[in-house]
Amino acid sequence: MSPAFYLRTMARESRGSFGRLAFFVICLAVGVAAVVAVAGLSASLDDGLRAEARQLLAADLRIQGSRPLPPGLDLARVGLRGAHRTDVQEMVTVVASPAGTSQLVELKVIDGDYPFYGKLDLRPVVPLKQLLNAESAVVAPELLSRLRLKVGDRLAIGGQGFRIAGQVLSEPDHMSISLSLGPRVFLSGPGLARTGLVERGSRIDHRTLIQLPADMKASELSAAVERLRRAIPNPSFYRIDTYKEGQPALRENFLRVGRFLGLVALLSLFVGGIGVAQSVRAWLASRLDAVAVLKCLGMRPREILALYLGQTVLLGLAGSLVGMVLGVVIQLILPRLFPDLIPIQLIQPFQPGALLRGLGLGVGVAILFSLPPLAGVLRVPAARVLRRDAEPLPLHRSVSLLTSLSLVGGIFGMASLQAASLLRGAQFTGGVLLVTAALAGAALGVTRAVGRLPRGFARLSLRQGLAALGRPGAGTVGAIVAMGLGVLVVLGMSLVEQRLAREMSTELPAGAPSAFLVDIQPDQWEGVEGLLKQAGATRIESVPVVMARLSAIDGKGIDQLTESGEPGRPGEREPRGERGPRRGGRGRRWALSREQRLTYMDRLPADNVVVAGKLWSDPKRAEVSLEEDFAHDLNVGLGSVLRFDIEGVPIDLTVTSLRRVDWKTFGINFFLVVEPGVLESAPQQRLAVAHLPPGGEQRAQDLLAGHYPNVTVLRLREILEKIAKVLGRISLAVRFLGGFTVVAGIAILAGAVSAGAGRRGREVALLKTLGMTRRLVMESFAVEYALVGLVAGAIGTVGAVVLAWAVVTQGFELRWDLPVISPTIALVGSIVLTVVAGLAASARALERRPVEVLRGE
Amino acid sequence: MRPTSARFSFAMSPPRIELRQLTRQLPSGDRTLTILDRVDLSIAPGEFTAVLGPSGSGKSTLLALMAGLDRPTSGEVRIDGVPIQGMSEDQLALLRREKIGFVFQTFQLLHNLTAQENVLLPLELAGKSDPVERANRLLASVGLADRGHHYPTQLSGGEQQRVALARAFAVRPPILLADEPTGNLDGTTGKRVLEILLDLQKSHGTTLVLVTHDPGVAALAHRLIHLRDGRIERQEALTPARQGVR
Repeated sequence: MSPAFYLRTMARESRGSFGRLAFFVICLAVGVAAVVAVAGLSASLDDGLRAEARQLLAADLRIQGSRPLPPGLDLARVGLRGAHRTDVQEMVTVVASPAGTSQLVELKVIDGDYPFYGKLDLRPVVPLKQLLNAESAVVAPELLSRLRLKVGDRLAIGGQGFRIAGQVLSEPDHMSISLSLGPRVFLSGPGLARTGLVERGSRIDHRTLIQLPADMKASELSAAVERLRRAIPNPSFYRIDTYKEGQPALRENFLRVGRFLGLVALLSLFVGGIGVAQSVRAWLASRLDAVAVLKCLGMRPREILALYLGQTVLLGLAGSLVGMVLGVVIQLILPRLFPDLIPIQLIQPFQPGALLRGLGLGVGVAILFSLPPLAGVLRVPAARVLRRDAEPLPLHRSVSLLTSLSLVGGIFGMASLQAASLLRGAQFTGGVLLVTAALAGAALGVTRAVGRLPRGFARLSLRQGLAALGRPGAGTVGAIVAMGLGVLVVLGMSLVEQRLAREMSTELPAGAPSAFLVDIQPDQWEGVEGLLKQAGATRIESVPVVMARLSAIDGKGIDQLTESGEPGRPGEREPRGERGPRRGGRGRRWALSREQRLTYMDRLPADNVVVAGKLWSDPKRAEVSLEEDFAHDLNVGLGSVLRFDIEGVPIDLTVTSLRRVDWKTFGINFFLVVEPGVLESAPQQRLAVAHLPPGGEQRAQDLLAGHYPNVTVLRLREILEKIAKVLGRISLAVRFLGGFTVVAGIAILAGAVSAGAGRRGREVALLKTLGMTRRLVMESFAVEYALVGLVAGAIGTVGAVVLAWAVVTQGFELRWDLPVISPTIALVGSIVLTVVAGLAASARALERRPVEVLRGE
Repeated sequence: MRPTSARFSFAMSPPRIELRQLTRQLPSGDRTLTILDRVDLSIAPGEFTAVLGPSGSGKSTLLALMAGLDRPTSGEVRIDGVPIQGMSEDQLALLRREKIGFVFQTFQLLHNLTAQENVLLPLELAGKSDPVERANRLLASVGLADRGHHYPTQLSGGEQQRVALARAFAVRPPILLADEPTGNLDGTTGKRVLEILLDLQKSHGTTLVLVTHDPGVAALAHRLIHLRDGRIERQEALTPARQGVR
């Protein structure tokens, strides 16, 4: 067959087919839209972060650490002559209004020009320098509304009064999507000095922003950074970011979320693939006679296969193009719907890579999912031209195996591409196959069981519906699997997210404290405790905290160890406090270079269990007990000697025990616990926890802000709620994408119904001829669709509950309780949607007059 | 029925179609149904053979086996001396493309192609030159010169069967297999279609095997094959072939 003849014949043969294959296009378009939207948004964010890297750093170069860069560091000496430097300090503290109401804030202190790039949006619109002096502060509008203040009012920070000189609406290097503990307050360097917070040992993040000389070439940058690294004392304590890397940490996080969402989108494309397979099967069923005639006329089976495959590719292209347009539209709409989730200014909806990916995956899915039904044309008996009842023969086992293997291989390939990992691709493929097999098995079992139900007792419409569901070749299994998969994804995600949100917001474990108090000076403790009691606090506990640096392990210096060790994962910030499960560790660099917090105590709290060695067992040496995961990160064990630097004084501690800590109790716990008698005379602060009655947290914070303004109160519930909110946003995006699987499922159902429209039409005609009213026919159809929805909903719901149970109990190690409301909504929703979609697709069949249809026979 | 010498003149040439001990069985539940039972038959080039028999006697299966549309359980089908039962699907397709034309009771036109495109298809498949011109000529020869751009659903039954005839003769196949070609047509239309069919058969020298229930149609053949329960019950040679048609 010449290419020209092939194309001509394909064009002729496809006449009249495209209308019938509208559902093919819809099923595919829905999935492609999801893929394009996710890939596009992900690429936009990545591009945006690269393109606006300077703005997002507010500089060309940023050096970050928990201690300041030496002020005398000569930039000219490291080849950065003409560079401008600004030192920034950030810390969390509590401020108070003259009325005594207090609020946790994020303080930012600027010493120099700021920002070098990007826009600092202030009201009034004047440079920050003009607004800030030793007596003034610039604050976020949110703080004004919370403390009921206005510009010009006074505000106490660290016990000192400041005049509110203006408002800050946005900062270039602080994105709206990042987690913050409180509203922003800007102070000047002299202003911070007045507060006395630094002297009292508050925890400060130091940043040095550098603007490179205008004539410096980009190629010289990495050499300059290297010289800088060598010039800085203890370089492992600092992280250097340049605009050229373009926010590697943030980008990596976005990419990780993007890859996960990409898989969710792929799932909806695969559900669409089931619809594609179903449409192709129905289409080919109507072309059996034509295939037989073509064979009679001397067309070879493989030529016929190529003919229909070609049409499938064309349809795949059409579906993908529609999906690409939809995907772009979603990218235009989504940032407007979720402005605090997606930074709208970074979105460029026309991402060639994303569009290409959608096209490739769309056409790939169209081909792969069509192959099994298409292979059937090979087995259409040509003798059908003589005997209409000659049905297609079963496929050769080798052909079946080949099409199945191509399908599984294709799913694996696409999943690996979306997840950018072969392992994740394999896991996803395994999961999809397992779930699909379970759904198909359950759907088949249920429909067969329904077919065998005694139905003599039921009323006519129910009897008809039950019979229709159970009849052989009804094609409902595909629809049930697709719908079930949709329900499973959407409900499963939602159940996990609900459970996590509840864990974060309300279900603090019994006995967990409600507030943490940090930065308490030892001499303040008595007074602080008194105020806490006054606010109604109970079960107050406090421990000493000594800040230190790890300087050597078994005689090897830290700089040497960080260079040889594995690098820390980008973007992992040291957590505030010493809590939180840290499965898998954060990498060695983080563990080595973090600011270490040591405490000392005679006996361990109840949530600590010694798993190796023995507590305080060596009278000859100063001992330290390590949390087991932290010891793993440091790569140390029993007998290792850790040298710490406490404000210039070295101290050697020997590891004599390892502990397992139950972090979920939210008790005071440390990675490093030192035996009593070693650190008592070292400079230290106290950390305290307390149980406060409802409303007592604000009262305690207000009281402390008045008397001990350096003490910061962290409300556990509030912080957890903030984390839950971030999780909630991500889960919303997942549910949004999961919704695409449901839409694809509905399209498949409508497609299945519409594919059977001819048969349906004859059925309606026959039923009407037998005296059934239109209303009764509709009723029996509604019963049938409701049963499809019920079965799909029930199987999907059970699957979702099992999935959510596994994720919650195994993945997050949380207690499981069976939810009732969401599964009920999912089940009812699935029934309603199916009935509506099914009846809508049967409308034409219902309208036809019996005589039209019967004459057609 | 009058015996004729025509039978002997056809018998002189080597057979175009030859069936040897041809048997076709189908499983039916736990039994085996024998559709054709050890049929021996030899058809000469240019011969017009009519196959008669009641429903279920194996007429259509006989045609299907001759065309390689179905495979025998045992026995042999030879076309121009070459056995076809061992051929692959592709080889059979090529054989049909070059040597066998079909006409069916239900016309079997492709409904999404126009009349002209239906006729064009075998011409293009066989890679003939000037296919459009040929197709138009063929349509004209069946009296449908001005109906080429109509779809089958826009044509009457008789017109559809004439398009099918034009398609069947398009590549001048040496063999034409016809399954009740007038079965779905009224008397006058059927007669007209048959007339065209036999004209074309004669002018092209085509070997025609025609299955029919109609004794009037069968009377026009050179030879009659009576099938019953899968066996040839009897054969008759007739002459003159086309008496009474015009």
